[in-house]
Amino acid sequence: MENPFTSAGSRPEAAFASAAERFFELLKAFGMPATGQPPNWSSLAAPLAGQFEQWLRMSQAAGPWLAAGGAAWPGASAGFTAPPSASFGPLPLGPAAAQAGEVQRTWELWGRLAQLQTRLAACWSEIANTAAQRFVARVGSAAGAPATPEQAMKLYELWVNCAEEAYAATVHKDDFARLQAELANTAAALLVEQRRHAETLVRAFGLPTRNEVDALYGQVKDLRRQLAELTDAARPARAGESRTGGDERAAARRREGPAPRRGSARRTRARRPRA
Amino acid sequence: MTAPGADPGALFAQLTLRVAETLARLRQARDVTVGCSAKRPVWNCGKTTLHHYLPLAGASVARRRASRPVLICFALVNRPYILDLQPDRSLVRRLLEAGLSVYLIDWNDPDEADRRVDLEEYIETHLGGCVRHILASHGDEPLDLLGVCQGGVLSLIYSALHREHIARLVTLTTPVDFHTPDNLLSKWVRQLDTRLIEASGNIPGEVLNALFLALMPFRLTQQKYVRLLAGNTEPQAIEDFVRMEKWIFDSPPQAAVALAQFVRWFYQENRLMRGTLEIAGRRVRLADIRQPLLNLYALEDHIVPPAASAALREQVGSRDYSDCAVATGHIGMYVSRSAQAAVPGRIISWLSERR
Repeated sequence: MENPFTSAGSRPEAAFASAAERFFELLKAFGMPATGQPPNWSSLAAPLAGQFEQWLRMSQAAGPWLAAGGAAWPGASAGFTAPPSASFGPLPLGPAAAQAGEVQRTWELWGRLAQLQTRLAACWSEIANTAAQRFVARVGSAAGAPATPEQAMKLYELWVNCAEEAYAATVHKDDFARLQAELANTAAALLVEQRRHAETLVRAFGLPTRNEVDALYGQVKDLRRQLAELTDAARPARAGESRTGGDERAAARRREGPAPRRGSARRTRARRPRA
Repeated sequence: MTAPGADPGALFAQLTLRVAETLARLRQARDVTVGCSAKRPVWNCGKTTLHHYLPLAGASVARRRASRPVLICFALVNRPYILDLQPDRSLVRRLLEAGLSVYLIDWNDPDEADRRVDLEEYIETHLGGCVRHILASHGDEPLDLLGVCQGGVLSLIYSALHREHIARLVTLTTPVDFHTPDNLLSKWVRQLDTRLIEASGNIPGEVLNALFLALMPFRLTQQKYVRLLAGNTEPQAIEDFVRMEKWIFDSPPQAAVALAQFVRWFYQENRLMRGTLEIAGRRVRLADIRQPLLNLYALEDHIVPPAASAALREQVGSRDYSDCAVATGHIGMYVSRSAQAAVPGRIISWLSERR
């Protein structure tokens, strides 16, 4: 089943279809196909929890910081359990090959990530079981299976309330917050490590590295700042030499520079860089 | 809930029909547009653009000339068009109807060249540049600043450091105390290694989206869609829904250094409350904000808990402080019917009373 929340952009149809599919699965778990008898709610707790846990594992694969990463953040792919053979990994290119120490560090980080994921899975299990127990306790043993869409929605709302409550009870705990942070920090460290490998490769091909581009950009910024300062310093002197020098609005306009050209909403040139 | 003997087949048939109808309507609404009021870019710096909204036909010219310009400073983490989503859900339009001259900052998308843009640059150069441009265009009279969410934090800082530029300040769903016990987002990011965030490069908008959705995953990724089966399926209602979806999933990437600083300084170290924040070598004290201040916050806000906003009352130096709590959620504060009925009117009347 596709998870529309891990991809870039809005896809309400996909999100709706996915949620509707889950809703139908849930109704089936509520005992809908039964032969007209009230469901045995207490026996539903285990399958309900199992189904719910599966969804949590899928949708919250590696914790919220990383759930979107498969599509967007190269170091944060959703399936952490397998090393990324298709992504960076050790680079088998003679002079560009990553140093043994770097490779070991990457593997250590993948291992750490897998361990943390196992701990996270335990949290999902706890949430799923608590939610199912709450739901069974609240629905009442005499309740029958829903017969109309409105009744089905009512049951669904009860289920969501139980699920959110169980989720909140776990994710507000300090242990969970620590685990989240560890996951995010490990994934970020892995990304940094992978970028280091990429820099090695880029250097081997004689291309500018990220660090070099950053350094150049810093120099451009510095130059812009110096130019702005020199321009600012020169303007009052020139204004004094010419005539007035006292027109504050004109001075303010000069400070701001010329108005942007028409249709220049996307123009990116910094006009008065200072930092 | 229902009597035994119900026909599950009939229920599934009904629900399947509703799913098909809803899907068809969602497809029809796929191309809805967002943003409704005409505006033009008047200044830019880096990726940031300052827009000036064109006055509405029929709005009072005399009122506009007599009023101070209003600058809206939105969050870096979302797009500002939520404030002008559609004609009947638009704070901007209500302000224009009241005859105000409205400016809006769009931070746009930082790219890899902007990964080292920091909060000082956003506040002093980008926000400050917008303010200076407006002052120069309006006779150097101080303006009114409306800060929204994270943009409210930037606005508070700017107002404290540049009192002479800001006449009155309005904050909307703005966190001030980042360490209130109910702040789940704060708990989660408290132990992040912000040096790694900086080193990782810009953070894609999708990562922050996933984080926000994970605060209440069942309501935000399941229930709200399933509720379409029971709700109003008129084309207009579906279009409204799709517009919101577009906005929610249309998040810009975040400049690495600025985001890392925001997490460290506010979520981790709570510097605004502790008075330990420094920007451009100057200490930021909320007590230095002496302008009239209206603080609006949402009572059911899961991103900025009400207590996080309400804490502003005890911190600011303003003698003219008002706050207003609205019974809605974080996003509801910008677009819900109840907030549309309460928020723009409150802002306009508050500004009018202090002209």
